[in-house]
Amino acid sequence: MIRGVILVIIGAVAAPLLGGLIAGVDRRLTAWLQSRYGPPIWQPFFDVIKLFGKERLVVNGWQVFCAHVYITATMLSVVLFFLQSDLLLILFVQAFGAIFLVIGAFSTTSPYSQVGANRELIQILTYEPLIVLVFVGIYLVTGSFKISEILAQTKPLLVSLPLLYIVLCYALTIKLRKSPFDFSTSHHAHQELVKGFLTEYSGRYLALVEIGHWYEVVLILGLCSLFWATSWIGVLVLVGVTYLCEILIDNIMARMTWQWMLGYVWTMGLAMSFVNLIWLHGR
Amino acid sequence: MDTIKAFIRKSRAKSPWLLHFDCGSCNGCDIEVLACLTPVYDIERFGIINVGNPKHADLLLVTGTVNHRNKKVLANLAEQMPDPKIVVALGSCGLTGGIFREAYNVIGGVDKIIPVDVYVPGCPPKPEAIIDGVVTGLEKFAEKKGDKS
Amino acid sequence: MLNTLLFILILGPFIAAALCYFVRISHIRSFIVLAMGCLLAVTSILLFTKAPFSHTPPPLLNIPIHWWIIWGDDGLLLTMLYYGFKHRHLFTKILIIFQIVALDYFELFMVDHSKTFPLFFADNLSLIMVLIISIVGPLICVFAIPYMNKHEEHQGLKKSRQPKFFAFLVMIIGAMNGLVLSNNIIFMYVFFEVTTLGSFMLISHDRTETALKNAVRALWMNCLAGAAFIVAMILAYITQGTVDAQELIRGGHMGGIMLTPLALLCFAGMVKAAQIPFQSWLLGAMVAPTPTSALLHSSTMVKAGAYIALRFAPGYAGTFLSQSLAVCGAFTFLATSAMAVSQSNGKKVLAYSTIGNLGLIFACAGINTPEAITAGILLIIFHAFSKALLFLCVGDIEQHIGSRDIEVMRGLYAKMPRTTLIAILGMVTMMLPPFGVLLSKWMALEAASKHLFVMVLLAVGSALMVMYWARWAGILLSAPYGSHVEPERQGVLTRLPLLALVGGAVVLSLCAPLLYSNLVAPILSAPSFSVRAGIFENPTGAFLLYPVILVLALGFIYAVYAAKKAQKARTSGPYLCGAQTTDPESFEGPMRKPVAVSSGAYYFESIFGEQRLTVWFNVCGGMLVALLIGGAL
Repeated sequence: MIRGVILVIIGAVAAPLLGGLIAGVDRRLTAWLQSRYGPPIWQPFFDVIKLFGKERLVVNGWQVFCAHVYITATMLSVVLFFLQSDLLLILFVQAFGAIFLVIGAFSTTSPYSQVGANRELIQILTYEPLIVLVFVGIYLVTGSFKISEILAQTKPLLVSLPLLYIVLCYALTIKLRKSPFDFSTSHHAHQELVKGFLTEYSGRYLALVEIGHWYEVVLILGLCSLFWATSWIGVLVLVGVTYLCEILIDNIMARMTWQWMLGYVWTMGLAMSFVNLIWLHGR
Repeated sequence: MDTIKAFIRKSRAKSPWLLHFDCGSCNGCDIEVLACLTPVYDIERFGIINVGNPKHADLLLVTGTVNHRNKKVLANLAEQMPDPKIVVALGSCGLTGGIFREAYNVIGGVDKIIPVDVYVPGCPPKPEAIIDGVVTGLEKFAEKKGDKS
Repeated sequence: MLNTLLFILILGPFIAAALCYFVRISHIRSFIVLAMGCLLAVTSILLFTKAPFSHTPPPLLNIPIHWWIIWGDDGLLLTMLYYGFKHRHLFTKILIIFQIVALDYFELFMVDHSKTFPLFFADNLSLIMVLIISIVGPLICVFAIPYMNKHEEHQGLKKSRQPKFFAFLVMIIGAMNGLVLSNNIIFMYVFFEVTTLGSFMLISHDRTETALKNAVRALWMNCLAGAAFIVAMILAYITQGTVDAQELIRGGHMGGIMLTPLALLCFAGMVKAAQIPFQSWLLGAMVAPTPTSALLHSSTMVKAGAYIALRFAPGYAGTFLSQSLAVCGAFTFLATSAMAVSQSNGKKVLAYSTIGNLGLIFACAGINTPEAITAGILLIIFHAFSKALLFLCVGDIEQHIGSRDIEVMRGLYAKMPRTTLIAILGMVTMMLPPFGVLLSKWMALEAASKHLFVMVLLAVGSALMVMYWARWAGILLSAPYGSHVEPERQGVLTRLPLLALVGGAVVLSLCAPLLYSNLVAPILSAPSFSVRAGIFENPTGAFLLYPVILVLALGFIYAVYAAKKAQKARTSGPYLCGAQTTDPESFEGPMRKPVAVSSGAYYFESIFGEQRLTVWFNVCGGMLVALLIGGAL
């Protein structure tokens, strides 16, 4: 029981701190790759705190509503992750937040927001089936969708699910909104169509969305860490290398179109999942 | 409560998001503004991000003269920025209308339309001057009252 | 007591239908519909307390029931034949004549009527169906009362066609009750055919050219289902010598011989449930007045198909038939979800979503593990409420704004806030946790995870499904900035069904653990989940229903509070590059003229276009159906 409470607190409090830190490191490394000095590592926290200190400026009440629902759902999904709950349930709860964020963007008539919302829906459409298939792969290895069962494994999942890990990385890239998949919104100065579906969120509501995004980053990186959950070093190495690759890809790739993303990611993702799942089936 | 306020003030100074509006400039100032973003000057080390949307911005950087055609746009952009915000006028034109001030369609400097916090002179101002102006603006920004509600 | 209850549930609607038809006074008709609705709802709950039972009613007017059934069926088929001749449709005529000959031969010369077995049988599956039919069905009928008045006003008819409309609307409810309670498959067949005739009459109601064309299409497709049903009955009788459904299910494991009739039954169910490649009849049914669509899509008609598949599921467990049924269902789910994405016609989106969800139920029946069956049954319950609600909302919206196009509904919140919110809630119950449809989808996914191909189809399909619901919900909210929102006025008979259905959809989701442990678990061969403190758990996974509901509800309440608080905040129009005019919904264009802002959603015509995909999906679907039947031969 006490362990559960501690895990809930870790999920609810430590996760966004970690997410913010990751975002800070990300900006620093990106700056390094562009031979710049870059902002301090704590920069994302300064940004969010500043946003909280700003005036409330709204287009309508729905955005406010949706931003709060979004952060609740993302927080819940991370807490469920730390409670070692069911993978599919976690995905669905996360989808709840993502969908409400899109609905909030749809609720304003701003063309930027509308375009962003449509594109975000395409991004959700692209990564959701892939994540489900990754979970199926995990199920075929462990016989369960519960994270607690995965942690009981003695062999890293990566050994039997290498291709599905790559598929998960596609989903991670989309979810992190990194190039070449950053067209619903984009980080800092990339601003795809003046920041896509975030256009009309401002001040503290933008801050809520940002914190929600940190939760999501932690969740997806957490999913990555499950692939080498047998040792802490493994987790650190795997997640670190994966994230470094993400930053590298972000910096060397150009933004593509959504048609390309849907076609490419589905083709590659489904093909790799199929191959990997058939291996497992064959055993 | 005071510590929180102090913290917010500090964060403000550390994270001004910048909206650049070209109000009819000859592009000389704009090139210098963009130079600030390049690796040589790298204003992101001050946490400054060039955003494209007034709703996310804290700092409105205006270059060029204001004319009858775009005065409304300038006012609209400033109106859509949530408080607290600061306005930095850049270059001779932004300050007074510059060499265009006598033209029939020109109103004059930015402060004819919206209150300006920092004036950065020069034709065009050097990137160092721009950064200096923005950093001066940050002190004002940190002290401003936000969140009227 | 049981006789009375069965009489009310099955024949009551028929009597009410006759009254509706012959008493041509609109107030009395409304009263009959209302009274029958209340009576059915109460009776279905009373019947529920008797469960489970098997029962043979005494002869009606001293004539054994099966004679009534034979006469009724011949009358029915002759009526259908009449329409076949009237509309000069050769294929319909052939199918109906085949049915008449086959059925009479079967009834008079083959079946041994001296054999006694319970004519009616109800376990929890039947009773759940009865409850849904007798509660959701009447609510739709009640909604139809004001709707049809307006509809006819709009059409400018001289002579009201409402008596006939309500007669068939009400009759379908009785037929459905009969179908799900019958144990004799001949009875089942007869009620099956009654729903065919009823849907034909309802679809052709407006008597426009399209309506007639679509009605005839519905007729021949459903006659095909009927013909398959008869052949299945005859084959089953030849192999097993009985028409007792329970006996047939138990005999399923005898080996390959019984599979052909079961496959044909599944085929009949798939046609009735408009699975690909037979989806066109249900899409065509959209031309009918909205209550028809609501009734056909949510609680009756198409659910008859799903019911048959679930009812006979134990009979074909672990066979090739079962597996191919799962693939067929999952394929339908994917295909219809893809096509729905390209649709901006609201009713068509709903239609595709119905077919898709039924596909999911068929997939569950095909997967055939206790988890999957649980998912299928729960899906029937939750889907009935949410889908009926959405149809009624769209009907009401259509009467207000004169269009069923999603793009025309943009910003509907400003015009009809209440209906819009109810509709959005309906959409949320269709796609997001912790609501019932998603709970059942979760069960289905977990159950499907051993079937690789099925799983891939379901995974892609459910992402597509989320896409079109979210897009629609967002568009409804996309109201112009600063528009003054005033609640719209609505009649009691319109609002009551909407509120009842939305309440039902939400409350039932909250009661999902109770529904599972009291209704579904007793009919499973082995319990699929253990339910403790609102947590569904089995070795495969766990769904923390109540904890999730609790947290999301708290977040929801806080979000409402925050949104209320933000009303005092400064507002500002949408960002238009600073060029907005005094009206924040337009920007200053050339010559200082205001240009209104407009935007549309993506419908992906080039990828998921209906025209493009239908042919290929029909080909694939046809092959899969051939696989299903061929594999069972």
